Amino acid sequence: MNGDTLDSLFAEARAHPPALPDALMARVLEDAQRLQPAVPRSGWIGWLRALGGGPGIGGLVMATCVGFWLGVAPPAVMPDLAGELLNIQTETSPETGGDLTAFGWDIEEGSVDG
Amino acid sequence: MQTAEIEKDAEALLLARYAAGDAAAARVLAAQVTPRIFAHACRVLGDQAEAEDVTQDALVRLWRIAPAWRSGEAKVSTWLYRVVANLCTDRLRRRGSVGLEDVAEPADPAPSAEQAMQQAARFDALQAALNRLPDRQRQAVVLRHIDGLTNPQIAEVLEIGIEAVESLTARGKRALTAALNGQREALGFENEETG
Repeated sequence: MNGDTLDSLFAEARAHPPALPDALMARVLEDAQRLQPAVPRSGWIGWLRALGGGPGIGGLVMATCVGFWLGVAPPAVMPDLAGELLNIQTETSPETGGDLTAFGWDIEEGSVDG
Repeated sequence: MQTAEIEKDAEALLLARYAAGDAAAARVLAAQVTPRIFAHACRVLGDQAEAEDVTQDALVRLWRIAPAWRSGEAKVSTWLYRVVANLCTDRLRRRGSVGLEDVAEPADPAPSAEQAMQQAARFDALQAALNRLPDRQRQAVVLRHIDGLTNPQIAEVLEIGIEAVESLTARGKRALTAALNGQREALGFENEETG
């Protein structure tokens, strides 16, 4: 036995690998299917999921409404940025200002002049 | 880019497609890598049932790591060979010293009658001689001479230096030659001059 003979034995072994059992391949593919990561959804459902699903969208809608309302009718303690940007001059007198901007929180029984 | 590199990149691409939800990519990738690592495990373990377990286990690890796989770091097949080599080492250690009569013969494809018997005798003799080698030598010899990996690839798989690979394969080949020397007739090499 010399090196060449051993090499020819190796070559023969290489050319005739053990047959892969079908059952093994079936198990391998079953594992692959079982362990495959969930497919990421595309389109608007994907966007909704990216935004946090139902609770996320609900929060966004609520924040948008509150922001819009604060823009339309800012409380007295907040500057009227929309008015300043649109160059709307508003005059607030101590007598009438509370009626327009303070949501009536300062109206207490007996405090309003009749 | 070398053909082999393109093939390996293709394996990483298939793995990425599998991670992205492409079931067909898993089938193609499995068809490419499973026969190779199963054959390797068969040669190293000398036992088909154990080789099947090791192959399935290695691929489960591959499917699990798929979403976190980073293409630049390792080649899929090299990574798989390393996992299989480690799983084989664990099994060989657990097995301890097993008599050759306890090691199942590998399944061989059968061509025809006398020729098939001669070929089967050669495969069995080679496997028996491989089984006698120390574990690391056997792994290195199988990776180099049967699986066809290069020395740097084997170094990566076995996590050793290239010189250590060269030493393991050289000693392994010498031991195999010595083990098979007395069986030249049985192997159909009776007319060969003594080397």
